[in-house]
Amino acid sequence: MKKLCSMLVMIVLITALVGCGESADKKVDSSAADEGKITIWAWDPNFNIAIMEQAKEIYLKDNPKVEIEIVDYAKGDLEQKLHTNLASGTTEGLPDIVLIEDYNAQKYLQSYPGSFEDLTGKLKHSDFAPYKVGLMTLDEKVYGVPFDSGATGFYYRTDYLEQAGYSAADLENITWDQYIEIGKNVLDKTGKHMLALDANDGGLMRVMMNSAGSWYFDESGKLNVANNKAIQESARIYKELFDSGIAKPTSGWGEWVGALNTGDVASVTTGVWITGSVKAEASQSGLWAVAPTPRLDLPGAVNASNLGGSSWYVLSSSKSTKTAVDFLNTIYGSNVDFYQDILVNRGAVGSYIPSQSGSAYTKEDEYFGGQKVYSDFSEWMQKIPSISYGLYTYEADAAIFGVMPEIYNGGSIEEALKKAEEQVKSQMQ
Amino acid sequence: MKRIKGSFKYIFLSIASLISVFPFIWMVIGATNTATDIIKGKMTPGLEAVNNVKMLLEMVDLPLVLWNSAKIAIISTVLLLLIASLAGYGFEIYRSKIKDKVYGGLLLTMMIPFAALMIPLFRMFTKMGLLDSHTAVILPTIATVFMIFFFRQNTKSFNRELIQAARVDGLKEYQTFFYIYVPTMKSTYAAAGIIAFMTSWNNFLWPLIILQTDGKKTITLVISSLSSAYFPEYGVIMVAIVIATLPTILIFFLLQKRFVEGMLGSVK
Repeated sequence: MKKLCSMLVMIVLITALVGCGESADKKVDSSAADEGKITIWAWDPNFNIAIMEQAKEIYLKDNPKVEIEIVDYAKGDLEQKLHTNLASGTTEGLPDIVLIEDYNAQKYLQSYPGSFEDLTGKLKHSDFAPYKVGLMTLDEKVYGVPFDSGATGFYYRTDYLEQAGYSAADLENITWDQYIEIGKNVLDKTGKHMLALDANDGGLMRVMMNSAGSWYFDESGKLNVANNKAIQESARIYKELFDSGIAKPTSGWGEWVGALNTGDVASVTTGVWITGSVKAEASQSGLWAVAPTPRLDLPGAVNASNLGGSSWYVLSSSKSTKTAVDFLNTIYGSNVDFYQDILVNRGAVGSYIPSQSGSAYTKEDEYFGGQKVYSDFSEWMQKIPSISYGLYTYEADAAIFGVMPEIYNGGSIEEALKKAEEQVKSQMQ
Repeated sequence: MKRIKGSFKYIFLSIASLISVFPFIWMVIGATNTATDIIKGKMTPGLEAVNNVKMLLEMVDLPLVLWNSAKIAIISTVLLLLIASLAGYGFEIYRSKIKDKVYGGLLLTMMIPFAALMIPLFRMFTKMGLLDSHTAVILPTIATVFMIFFFRQNTKSFNRELIQAARVDGLKEYQTFFYIYVPTMKSTYAAAGIIAFMTSWNNFLWPLIILQTDGKKTITLVISSLSSAYFPEYGVIMVAIVIATLPTILIFFLLQKRFVEGMLGSVK
């Protein structure tokens, strides 16, 4: 009798589970069959999400039947979800459009071939900054819609630099060695550090490398660390920045941005996205200006670089690829006014070149003493060397910053970089 | 000499408790300041609390998110307590030749990290059609090996003669469990309940993977997405964290006495 009872309970439970599954399955299918719905995954509620909401509003005016759902995740979380979903081999649950950070683009494209829609010819890619298009190209096919730029600039406090005897012209197109010399004078005359720097953060090294048209990997994706002149030179400058005393050591994002807002440092060289954080301190209005990024003293290096930035990709598994591509093309690939709006309201510098002659880009900014900063950034953006980030940017970054303490302590740069290269190699296997 | 030793002890304990309480104090102070103030290291309360709450409510459907978290945490805690205590009771009280082998096998599975289970679990739940459902968040949490182990250990101090007496008095097995065992093990249930509730409330990775729409998200997922930004609104994040911490603190203080007893394994 007992056995019969437990058998019955088991049968009821299994039936309930299977029934549950079937009913939900039907639900998923019916929603997927609706051609007009697109789901978008992105991060940063005040930036990417807010901008996408604006894009959605504009698109829905002309296409009221389309339904657009924007889902907000943290960047790392979104990547984790996307990896798990793609690796599991099930396409259910994947969005139609996803935001991917440029550094990781090739990793996704090469690890999950066929998962992303080939957009070659479906969008005028020649209208975008060439370096952005290069990052999303694989085997001569272009897979993404370029979005925000991480074009870099050398933001500086005009009051501190003037006190040390420098005018804007003295800061144009300098090398990092000249920057260090200027920093020493600023420290002498004002007592302020020239920059805030986290000894374990690879951001500035990526800025330096990119300006020299180099990366941790060469064009064919082969690791290029130990004998890479740009990396050797960047490591030397990192050490010099600390040895000369012009760098204020900080740890983490909060302390780093805090050094700018409190007036502790005279400059910061980073992506254009820092503008919002600099401007957050209203009391410093009129005291800042932006000059071109310093360059490495190497042949071919330019005074323009990039740090960060991301782009939109359409998943091949989408049931509404046509709508998704049309949406991205209509807004991100041709709407000049939209780019003016997001620049003014969100501080987003898009990489769509025709938008950059618009009124918002050519407006003088009081915070930067009347400088037309965005017009300058647009000009620098087009000079950024086009490189390939390869598949393991963050792994290489971590390995190099694992050996940087040896360099800071006076060890051989070549030896340390050799060690880092070996470590990345073992991770790549 | 003894006095000096004693006062050293108190100074050390005061410093240690200050260090452990500091993150909470900073969290509350942060909730009253702007992001720029927090970045600049301001350590005094500000006047931005209302503003931060307003911004949070604009950015997130807070009542819905809290309801999602509470629903998941309560259901999974109740089911986990029931299943784990039944299993713990069964493993300890009943006799069977293969019992210890099965138990050993179960304990071994504790060594498999969740990351290794994630992709198969995701496939399984997708095939079951449970993607983006709270059922899928709850199911993997309702039977954990640690909780079975916890109940079995505590059941060791349970007086078996009570069971024999109950059997002699004619109680059925399930009656013995619910009328004799459960009331006797209150402290164990309280301790396990706090741990289970906190684990479920703070659960992050699995809900992140299996939930797909904003309307289904839990508070931990929302806090995580708030902090990923070019310009993070630290004040708003702090408010969200304060709100997310309150239920667990409340439950802990309500059941504190029982929790300590339960962790010590006492039977009352």
